[in-house]
Amino acid sequence: MEPNKEEEQQQQEAAQKAEFDPSEIEYVIYGGEHHLPLIMNLVDQELSEPYSIFTYRYFVYLWPNLSFLAFHRGKCVGTVVCKMGEHRTTYRGYIAMLVVINSYRGRGIATELVTRSIKVMMESGCEEVTLEAEVTNKGALALYGRLGFIRAKRLFRYYLNGVDAFRLKLLFPIPEIHPALSMIAESDEIQRHDQISQQEC
Amino acid sequence: MDQSGAEEAAMHRHPPQHSSIPSGENSVWSDVSHRLEAACRELRDGELIHGDNFNLFAAMSALEIMDPKMDSGIVCKYYSIDEAVENGVAPVPISSDKTIDVQCTIDIMDHLLACEATWHNGHSLAQTVFSCIYLLRPDRTSSHAILHSYCRVKRATCKAVVSVVSDARTHEEEDLFTMAYGLPLHGDGDEKCLSMLNAVEETIYRQLRACNATSSKKRVSEDIEPLQHNLDLEEDFCKALLCRIRFRKHFFHVLTCMRRPQGRGLELARKHIASCMSELECILNSAEFLRLGAYGTCEDGVEDRTTASGRAAIGFDASLNSRSSAPTPPRAIKILSWEKAVQYFLKLLHDLDIVCSYSLDPSLEGVLRFVVQFQKSKPDLIARAHLQLLLIQDGKLYGRDPIFAVITKAAALPEVTKNHDIQKNEYIVQLGQLVINLLKILCTNAAWQRRKLGKILQDWRVIYVQLEIAFRNEVGSVSSISDDENICVRIFKHILNWVEEQTYWIASRYLMLGFELDLYSPSEYCMVYWYMYVVLIKLAEKTHLRIAVSSGTVKKKGKKKKDSSKEVAKESRIPLPVLFLQCHLCLAQGLSMMLAALRNELMVLQSPSPFNTEHERFIQHFELLQKACVPDNISYLSFKESTTYTRFSTLVMYNYFKNAQRIAKEIKSSFSDDPDRLAEVRRLEQVAEHNGVALNVICRVGALDPSLKVSFEFTHHPYFATAVVKRS
Repeated sequence: MEPNKEEEQQQQEAAQKAEFDPSEIEYVIYGGEHHLPLIMNLVDQELSEPYSIFTYRYFVYLWPNLSFLAFHRGKCVGTVVCKMGEHRTTYRGYIAMLVVINSYRGRGIATELVTRSIKVMMESGCEEVTLEAEVTNKGALALYGRLGFIRAKRLFRYYLNGVDAFRLKLLFPIPEIHPALSMIAESDEIQRHDQISQQEC
Repeated sequence: MDQSGAEEAAMHRHPPQHSSIPSGENSVWSDVSHRLEAACRELRDGELIHGDNFNLFAAMSALEIMDPKMDSGIVCKYYSIDEAVENGVAPVPISSDKTIDVQCTIDIMDHLLACEATWHNGHSLAQTVFSCIYLLRPDRTSSHAILHSYCRVKRATCKAVVSVVSDARTHEEEDLFTMAYGLPLHGDGDEKCLSMLNAVEETIYRQLRACNATSSKKRVSEDIEPLQHNLDLEEDFCKALLCRIRFRKHFFHVLTCMRRPQGRGLELARKHIASCMSELECILNSAEFLRLGAYGTCEDGVEDRTTASGRAAIGFDASLNSRSSAPTPPRAIKILSWEKAVQYFLKLLHDLDIVCSYSLDPSLEGVLRFVVQFQKSKPDLIARAHLQLLLIQDGKLYGRDPIFAVITKAAALPEVTKNHDIQKNEYIVQLGQLVINLLKILCTNAAWQRRKLGKILQDWRVIYVQLEIAFRNEVGSVSSISDDENICVRIFKHILNWVEEQTYWIASRYLMLGFELDLYSPSEYCMVYWYMYVVLIKLAEKTHLRIAVSSGTVKKKGKKKKDSSKEVAKESRIPLPVLFLQCHLCLAQGLSMMLAALRNELMVLQSPSPFNTEHERFIQHFELLQKACVPDNISYLSFKESTTYTRFSTLVMYNYFKNAQRIAKEIKSSFSDDPDRLAEVRRLEQVAEHNGVALNVICRVGALDPSLKVSFEFTHHPYFATAVVKRS
């Protein structure tokens, strides 16, 4: 769900990198209605797919604990919007939108935003996290690769602009079991494989 | 949302007087108007009432009216086609000046070609070809013979293409392609498009001859009215029109010939394909002349031009359909340039030609090889749909060979099997269906294909288990085995082996497609090559067994050991298909071991991640294979066991790359009459050679020189990487 705008534009903007110290960035969990226009502006500005206000509300009202914003001196420079829920037989998290304005990219803001969301998902009992990213979006692919996501499948001409997408997936490890129970753990694992493969989408 | 203000209103109850549904025991009619009004007053712009069934899909489907990015109903220019026509957007004739009229007609043809290519490349018909108002109003053009016949053949072509794609049903992800709601895909009389087109072609051809005659003999054929008035330009205009019209004619023939049953029209189709290609050359050549006459406003850059002349074509409006027919996302799309469109059609014709030149190989092995080879050139939806319809017609291979007969041949079953009752066994019938499905899946785009292959692995595994049970029952139930049952046992044994062989073939294709689709990252190569290696071992084993058994059968039937020493020598030799697989196998093993050693000794290509480990990535990448037990008893643990202690010193000892190279050299000569496989062996040989050298370099200096950088590239082969060693 996160195709980027024209590369050309990106390059132009990249020429004017913002100067700041990473410690100046403040990360805030979604705090209510006053944050909504900030998120919408950021996404409208940076991503190519148009979203109605209903889409934003759907996410931030149901999962306010999974949405984060990054501020630099009072200016909103990045945001992540997510959801989680049952998907077939698993409980999975989904990263819907991740945006950092161009001049602030490459400094770990997106990684920090998305890491915060993933942590909440893991603590909430998600077994895995998924998202889609354009195959041409090298930055996003590298970022998610570092976090342990694999490219599970390719979605042919997924976006309206005709570009393919990757479905990225991050599987959380099953919680550690006492070594004495490792035999049981082994058999548990086999069952779990079955579950995972059934929730294919 | 907040509904407290509406509570009181809800208390009023007005049983309706004339309701057709009476109030029941637990229900009563009540007027909720007040409550609704009150609730509405509470709601502000952009707020929504969230019901349980309001999911992401519903949210994403919601539109904001008057947002130009979302609202398809927004009026861009005209309310309707009629209004556009009334405003003179698509005049007939296009101009009262005949020369300009011809020029504009050619522009329309060119732009339509660009639209058609854009449609084939994934956009909707409504926004591309049917953005042409002339096409949308079939009757309006009747007074303009050239335009009229061209529009007719264009509609008929679109219809034929939609039909081939929907019949093949290979377009699951490309469903936008066949959507044509509300579009006049079939105008009255379009079926006669070819005779009209022929008549127009004939007239223009005469005009061309007349103008040639005029220049040489001076006014011989005065009865023929010229195409337009500028006699200096007559010849070039006639030629420009002729090649465009002839291209349409031949292209339509290609599509219809290719649909003939049992591939009977393929030879003729090839002739039309050749004609199409030469007409496209003429079309390209006409650009020089057409650009000369292009006075007035040109479109932007050359790369963006959708016509040969560079002028914008008259009579198009992509926004008109968004109000009348689905699906037309409101966003404007970019039509391919005219030159790219011509290149696209050349490629399409080339792909179709490959399909037409196919020999209708009766062996399944040959079919699979052909389809895989064909897919390497990334043919588009239309070419793939044609191939699929050729392969499977009426549930038979090429509409000719029953699937059971195909399996009999492929699995090297005894001759008697063809008429044996075993083909009525329900699992054998199911197996036939699996083979058909496999062939269809292999004709889909690589992304879809891989997903489907992963899923059908399970089906192949299940059918194996079921056949095995049926086989055991068969053997167990007979105490004294008669000849007939003996045959049964043999058939089952062969089939079981063959089903396994196919399953491993599917698994190997599944893994290889992952490289083509760029699904693996370098830190995962080690486990992918390792998995590929364990699958290839099994595949080679099953293939070897099948070939051994089938040659054994042949021997039994023939004369008794005539030249026993020669026979033995022949038998001990490993069959060619197995050697071919072994070459792949050595490379996969060599690569996985080299990658493991790099990780173990140079500490590269490891990817620690904060949330999970390599174990989870292994589970995710191979979950479909693991679920289908392909192969049995393979787990992350076995991967770790065989790679954790790999060192460069042991690698050099085993020499996997040398082995691969040796096999490649050995089998090259056997493929001298098979250019595709010869090329494949050459590629394997190159990968083996380069990796062998790289390995030596790393072994000699690797551990001592920390500045050594090893990366992997797919320069020689699409899925066997070549190691590149550099000093940083």
